[in-house]
Amino acid sequence: MLIYLLRRVALMIPTLFGITIVVFVVMAAAPGGISAQSLVDGTNLEPETRQALEDYYNRLYGLDQPPPVQYLRWLNNISPVGFVREADGSLGTFSLWKAPDLGVSFRYGRPVTDLLAERLPITLLLNLLSIPLIYAVSIAIGVQAARARGGRFDVASNVLLLGLWSVPTMLAGVLFIGFFASEQYWRWFPTAGLVRREAVDQTFLPWLGGPGDVLLLAVLIGASTALLVWAAACAPTRARRLGGALLGGVLGYLMATDLHGPSPGGLHLLLALCGAFACGALAGLPSAFLRIAFAGGVGLGLGVGLARVAGVEIVHGGYLFDRGWHLVLPVITLSYGGLAFLAKLTRSSLLENMAADYARTARAKGVAEDDVLWRHVFRNSLLPLITVSATLLPSLLAGSVIVESIFSIDGMGKLAVEAVQTRDRELVLSVTLISGLLTLAGYLLADIAYAIVDPRVSYD
Amino acid sequence: MTETASLHGGRALRSRSWSRQVLAALLKRLGARIGLVWIAALVLVATFAPFIANSHPLYMVVDGAASSPALRHMEPLDWVWLCGFALAVVLLLLPLKAWQRLLGWLLGVAACAAFAYATVSPPALTIYEQYRELEADGRVERLIRAPIPYSAKDYLRDFADTGIEAPLAAGDGRVHWLGTEENGADVAARMIHAARIALGIGFIATGIALLIGTLIGGLMGYFSGVVDIIGMRLVEIFEAIPTLFLLLTFVAFFGRSIYMMMIIIGITSWSGYARYVRAEFLKLREQDFVQAAVACGLPLWSILFRHMLPNGIAPLLVAASFGVASAILAEATLSFLGLGLVDDPSWGQMLNQAVQSSTFNWWLAVFPGGAIFLTVFAYNLIGEALRDAVDPHTQRTAGGAS
Repeated sequence: MLIYLLRRVALMIPTLFGITIVVFVVMAAAPGGISAQSLVDGTNLEPETRQALEDYYNRLYGLDQPPPVQYLRWLNNISPVGFVREADGSLGTFSLWKAPDLGVSFRYGRPVTDLLAERLPITLLLNLLSIPLIYAVSIAIGVQAARARGGRFDVASNVLLLGLWSVPTMLAGVLFIGFFASEQYWRWFPTAGLVRREAVDQTFLPWLGGPGDVLLLAVLIGASTALLVWAAACAPTRARRLGGALLGGVLGYLMATDLHGPSPGGLHLLLALCGAFACGALAGLPSAFLRIAFAGGVGLGLGVGLARVAGVEIVHGGYLFDRGWHLVLPVITLSYGGLAFLAKLTRSSLLENMAADYARTARAKGVAEDDVLWRHVFRNSLLPLITVSATLLPSLLAGSVIVESIFSIDGMGKLAVEAVQTRDRELVLSVTLISGLLTLAGYLLADIAYAIVDPRVSYD
Repeated sequence: MTETASLHGGRALRSRSWSRQVLAALLKRLGARIGLVWIAALVLVATFAPFIANSHPLYMVVDGAASSPALRHMEPLDWVWLCGFALAVVLLLLPLKAWQRLLGWLLGVAACAAFAYATVSPPALTIYEQYRELEADGRVERLIRAPIPYSAKDYLRDFADTGIEAPLAAGDGRVHWLGTEENGADVAARMIHAARIALGIGFIATGIALLIGTLIGGLMGYFSGVVDIIGMRLVEIFEAIPTLFLLLTFVAFFGRSIYMMMIIIGITSWSGYARYVRAEFLKLREQDFVQAAVACGLPLWSILFRHMLPNGIAPLLVAASFGVASAILAEATLSFLGLGLVDDPSWGQMLNQAVQSSTFNWWLAVFPGGAIFLTVFAYNLIGEALRDAVDPHTQRTAGGAS
């Protein structure tokens, strides 16, 4: 096993070199390319200062040397093994462990390492929140669709998921921000950033008026959540549908009230009908997990809403709530595409295994259908999901470029766009290198997970 | 269109029954039919764009002199689209083999393009306002305008305060069914002209990616061994860099022409096709007919592309259908991020304007975004149906279940 992993890591090294070569070739082959002149262009400087600046860049990055030499210099700078670079740009002694130096960003005038240390955690936070969400929901949908193959849920979810998969991320982001974060419509969510200035100074958890308020809030949230979860789990289908439709209708009406006031109008009717239909359909879902998760979310929101109506004094929401509030729209925008893709994959993988001989054998010897599904078929169907997790990370990284630009989140994706727009050589190289590294790490993790889960994988 | 065109043209004796079967199975599916109808509508709109949305009148009589400014102002590219469309219709009606049709179409379009760019020279200066002024002066006796009387780049400079206007909100006698964008141009007109970019990017970028992928994947699969190992590292390199990052880098350093973008999207998305072709060829190379072809001493290209490729084309077609969708998405994303074409209309660029200013202009999000969504959805529907159609396993079981 250890040798297998070492082999995998060793095979990644040429790939990593290849990535750096590809990116470097793109930059070097570009018409105009990057030279000391193009860097100081546009700055309003005296000729002597200009010349001095050009010389400085040339010395620092070797921009007046041929591209292969530049590449080797850059490689030497970023690798922990190599020649130490002296302050004047010349190469010093060979060292086996020196600090990797990603260079200084032209645009920000700061070391790239600092920039990345600032931006990368934000992108990773977005992605790490999305991945469990994607897996949980898509497995629930996929299992349900495969269970009742050809049924109403299967057909409807199939079309819906394909549609969801085709919605461009930027369209979803723009619509979310336009309708749920702009002044003109519902101003429920913040338009930009990840945290409000005030929230930084606030307590971590929400701060309520007094112990009585805390108790009331806890009771209301607990009661509404418990009631809805109980109803979702145990009530008969017809009652669930009816209750869901009623609740959805009321919520839709309230949504219209938020925009146009309480007097009934066309929008009120439309939103109430849409809400009733959507919530009715969701409450009638055959998958208990999805139902309970949905009911729990609605119950939580309902409890908070009731508490505010009941007069609970909320001094401020606190840091945690504020962060979560900022993250809702970006995380949804980032995850729905992967969710659709993965749910379809789960379904097809389950179907394939359900028709397999071992599943038939299990059924033939009298194992209950649920046991066949969960104890035999489901475990085997996880394999393609693990394989796909390797490709999920690059696509999420690409998605976060769009999401971060739309929601003005200062993460690595936005940094990449800015770097590319300003032709910031060091930053472009580093961002691509880091994203390549992350992807390779994702591949490695997927390989390890696969090797652990599937005993058939041979380690030699 | 080439994929479906080659399916239509299944007259070749060897592949007739199979491609006919696939086509029939494809058309049986509702999703594929909807997708094909939308793509066909898009092709029609893109081809006849100058006659659907144009500030130049189609026909007008001024001071007794009849003229057609729309025809006079047609760009070489407009003629190429028209010729390509006519050629495609003619070739589909003629009894030819699929590859003959494809080759004939490509050569014909290339010839048309060369001819059009050599001969057609529209007036260098286009003044969109002149017709409206003529009309206001009362000198026009007869006037036939296009259904949408605005060009994609007609920024309506003759009207006082043009800018972002909601659909049907313009006061001074102008009718903009889908509103205007931030420079004052008609959104419907821009969307119609942008259909060309979406279609062109989709097909040409996917074509380039298919070409590279088939070549590299075919060589890897046929030779295996060292070639395979080196090739797979290359595939892994291109897969490990998130495509969008690579695209961003390419676009930023190579300028913003539409052709450059097609090539770039093609170069960055070939790795999947190479994988598919390699896997198919690894299976095929052991088979008797390939061994026979080798034993006959056929040249390498003949073994690879005349004998092996037609037998391994099914997964490639499916992947290409999804690939067109992702190429369109890639272009829209780049335009959305402000790295697309500068003045030419593009759906992604219009979508970007929906939230650029402090207000939210819903028509700039809903219509262009809806167009991107529908086009991508159409290709995904076709791809999905095609996958079911070429896979004998799902075809059999799906027939039993639904």
